[in-house]
Amino acid sequence: MVRIKSRHLLCEINVTDRNCLLLLDDRAVLAAVKDTVLRMHGDYGAAPLCFLCVFLVKYLNAHTGIVFLRFPKNCYKLLWSALPFITSIESRGHKISCFFNCLHVGGTIRTCQKFLIRYNTQQLHRMLPKCKNEEEKQEIRQAILNCSLLRGKKEAFEEASESEEDEEE
Amino acid sequence: MLYTVLSPYLFTDETTILPKGGDPSTNRPKRSHHQPGWVRGHQKDGGDYSKEMPKYITAGGFARARAAEVKAMLKAVTKRPASCHVFETLPKHMRRRAMSHNTKRLPRRLRLMAMKLKKKEQTRSKSRKARRRHGNLLLEFNRRQRKNIWLETHIWHAKRFHMVKKWGYCLGDRPTYKCYRPCYRAMSSHCLLQDLSYYCCIELQGEEDRLLTGLSQLTSKEAGPTFAAALCLSGRRQGSVVVYRAGQYPSQPLGPVTFLWRPRTQGSTHRQLWIWAHPTLKQVLSSINLRSVCDCSEAVVPVVVPEPSPAEVTPTVDSEPKPKTTPGAKRKRSSKDQSGPPAKKILGDGTRSPTTPVTWKSNVTCLICCLMCCSDLTMEIIRYRLIGPQSHTVITEAFEAATSCDVRFMKNKESPSSLWWPEHCKDENKMHLHQQQADVFHLLKGIFSTAELPPGTILGLTVDDPRLTLPTKKVKALPCVKERYIISTDLELVLSGVSEHCCQSFLWDRSVRDNVIDNKISEQELNRMRSEVLVPGSRLPVPPQGRVPVLLVHQPGKQVGHEMSSWGAGWDLLLPKGWGMAFWVPLVYRGVRIGGLNMSLKHSQNKSAPHFPHDYPDCPAGVHFQEEQEAELLDKFKRRPPAKRTNYIKHGCLAPFCCPWQQLAEEWEHITREGGEEREGAGRSRTTTEADTVMEGRWRPLVRMNRKSLRLLSGWCKPTTSKGQRACRLRLPPPSLDLSAVKSFLTSHRMTLVWVRLSLLSGGKPELHGIVCVPTSEDLKQLKSSKKAAAPSLPSDKTVEKETELSSASDPNIPITSSSPLDLVLGLWPDPLPSVASHCSRLTLGWVTQGDFSLSAGCGEALGFVSVPGLLNTLQNQPMEHRGTVLLRNPTSLQYRFAKINTRSEPMHKFSYCQ
Repeated sequence: MVRIKSRHLLCEINVTDRNCLLLLDDRAVLAAVKDTVLRMHGDYGAAPLCFLCVFLVKYLNAHTGIVFLRFPKNCYKLLWSALPFITSIESRGHKISCFFNCLHVGGTIRTCQKFLIRYNTQQLHRMLPKCKNEEEKQEIRQAILNCSLLRGKKEAFEEASESEEDEEE
Repeated sequence: MLYTVLSPYLFTDETTILPKGGDPSTNRPKRSHHQPGWVRGHQKDGGDYSKEMPKYITAGGFARARAAEVKAMLKAVTKRPASCHVFETLPKHMRRRAMSHNTKRLPRRLRLMAMKLKKKEQTRSKSRKARRRHGNLLLEFNRRQRKNIWLETHIWHAKRFHMVKKWGYCLGDRPTYKCYRPCYRAMSSHCLLQDLSYYCCIELQGEEDRLLTGLSQLTSKEAGPTFAAALCLSGRRQGSVVVYRAGQYPSQPLGPVTFLWRPRTQGSTHRQLWIWAHPTLKQVLSSINLRSVCDCSEAVVPVVVPEPSPAEVTPTVDSEPKPKTTPGAKRKRSSKDQSGPPAKKILGDGTRSPTTPVTWKSNVTCLICCLMCCSDLTMEIIRYRLIGPQSHTVITEAFEAATSCDVRFMKNKESPSSLWWPEHCKDENKMHLHQQQADVFHLLKGIFSTAELPPGTILGLTVDDPRLTLPTKKVKALPCVKERYIISTDLELVLSGVSEHCCQSFLWDRSVRDNVIDNKISEQELNRMRSEVLVPGSRLPVPPQGRVPVLLVHQPGKQVGHEMSSWGAGWDLLLPKGWGMAFWVPLVYRGVRIGGLNMSLKHSQNKSAPHFPHDYPDCPAGVHFQEEQEAELLDKFKRRPPAKRTNYIKHGCLAPFCCPWQQLAEEWEHITREGGEEREGAGRSRTTTEADTVMEGRWRPLVRMNRKSLRLLSGWCKPTTSKGQRACRLRLPPPSLDLSAVKSFLTSHRMTLVWVRLSLLSGGKPELHGIVCVPTSEDLKQLKSSKKAAAPSLPSDKTVEKETELSSASDPNIPITSSSPLDLVLGLWPDPLPSVASHCSRLTLGWVTQGDFSLSAGCGEALGFVSVPGLLNTLQNQPMEHRGTVLLRNPTSLQYRFAKINTRSEPMHKFSYCQ
């Protein structure tokens, strides 16, 4: 299959003040990346970003600060090299000082998702022994348990809908 | 694109998705428009986050945020791709040949999913042979007719027709092949056949006087003959009436019904009455009205015969004794069949549970003969309708009057036979009656056209099983041309119809009916008999159980208007249930066309008769039908993209999908009242108070009028017939249309609608919900100046456009930036409609409910309703030669067309007899 190949960067936005995290949105991130690339590599670097269908923020979680960036494959290293120079993101009139921490580079979104699942669970497991009181421990335990889908219920629901269909005619 | 979008909630190419609800770090109350879960798109009003943020974060919040993300990701990763094949998730190099066939070729982690998919497919498909096996097929059919009743001809129809589910039945709507014109030709020159078995029959039994007093509450003499009309009461004619809710005569009509009285038997006043009603009418009619009117409240729960064991059932289903020498395989299957539930063909109503009461008796049983009984014979009697001038030819060719039984049977059966016909053959009187009926039936052959007979004639008859005389090929039944009316009896038949005693039929007898149904020869048996005949193809001997009582009921044709009079007359054939296909196929083999629901609508349209649920906006069924139609049309309209829709606002059409009758009537009432005030102020106070009282009650448009006022109205608006010809038959001068007469007429019919026929003077085809408008005097001048009626047609109505644009600009609801985009449909007026009467440049009188090019009249014809005050107002202002001219405009066009208005000269249901 012929396709445009790209790379997906799974980055974590680290902010000094966590409250600012919720101010983030995809346009702000996009603008910040663009600015920095322009600053670092000039017009040569910014040119690939003009193809908006290739350069995108595919996912942004404002609570955890996880962001998926999509770059064209042929020049992703160039663009990646500009990411450490982002120091602040301008969003809704606020200037959020932050830096990007690239966790994973993947060829598809799927691999990034799989990595993220692994990474997050790992983080939760790491947090567990460091808890200071019992209450926190309990909460984190609960969070870890929540990390899985409830399979049985979903299937049962599907079955029911199928038998309904049979009745129709 | 690079990737299939994995989850519509998670990833889209243009937008980022921000998790909003279920905010893990805060426990603020959710805002009303924040839906829980994932919300797509930018949040315009998301600026107030900082206020709600906590001062510090806890490990719990942090963890919960991570957990939520993981969960979402898991969901996205494990989601199956859009395609149904599991192996498409695999990369290419891991795919193997025939993976979907053999699941073991899949990697193990995908196997479970694939197995599940495969199992789902498999449950559906038994082998075709197994599915088509007779017992299994019957079981399947029985399962499928649990919800909607199937007519006996269902399978026949389902192979040839587009089926629709309507009124709890599966009915054929229109054939899959093109046959609109052939069907019309069949109706006007040969014969068209329809299965009307879905009509419901309600049987009333009891003392004649008590029945009549009870039924008189449902009708009124003002609206025409009632159940008590002498000819109908004698049983010689079928009658038709519009019934009302008991005792509520002018206000709450229910709908039209036809009825048959059983002819009197000597020395008994016990009578039997069949009322045939449309299925939408049946519930309210039988449960509320008839039962209360006849005070039959005591339900007779039918005795549920315990289901006979399978061993007993099998011999009755196929009466042929099983030969001992069946091959082993077959015997095995039959034994297997017996272990399972026996598949028995459903006759009659399959959806009704056997314990539902169908008969209600009156609890006042003072005398034995005084017992009144109301029972529901739905699907017990089959009704076929033959339309067309040659339908009698088809009937006479397809059926033969029953031959009397052989002496052989008479001789060796001294003991009473289980079959009804041999018993009847012993009775001299009955045989004499049968002979007379057969004579009348033979006379039918000599008649030139079905329409010659007096409308509503009934003929009782017993016929041989028509399958015995089935021709090997389809032949067209042709009339036998002969010198007409040599015999005086022939003439008598045409003039006065069938004499009273010949209307008697054994179809009325439940016992005979049951006997006939139980003893029907199976198709298989018949084929065996055919194979045993010495000369192949010769006539079969009539077996003793092969006689069926039937009733032939004449249906009147077109009764209004002057051209094509009595078009579409025909016969109705009433049969006992179970014999449906046995009579259907022989009829079809006589070269008739078959019509569906669509054709019956066209039939009544060409006949200029109102069709039941369509043209009765005052009946509950009609209101329901209109709502349904509106929803359907609106749905169809909404399916088109907004740019491709008809812009009804620009076309000046307020209500293209429904007709706000009530609003129209009110507005016209208002307009006429204002006009009246200008002329004289005296009657003012009185009119307002009366109008208020009308408004207070829940009002439905009054459509029905009594005969006298209808005649007056039709006289006023009928100086000419349709197409502009002078009425030659109209000897009386039209009643003068002076002010006082109109005023007195209006006081009683202020908020009434009247059913009219419109025929276009020039070309054009009226459509559903076209607008009937009042022509201005300039229009009429234009019509007068150009000699040919076809010439003057208004130029595309610029004023309409301008007006609507103006009004839409001024109306705050119209612009697209409306506050409620959900209930706003582009191209339609938003809900509170402005004044409907004075919306366009011409005043609206009413709307068309059915419109088409009428093949019988040769011009566009429409049926619709107009407001009575509006009509009178129009008539008054028009010069004599153009009286009754209106304008008609389709909802999708700007072109007005001249049309001639005709109110019918008889009430909606002209009683079916002629004096």
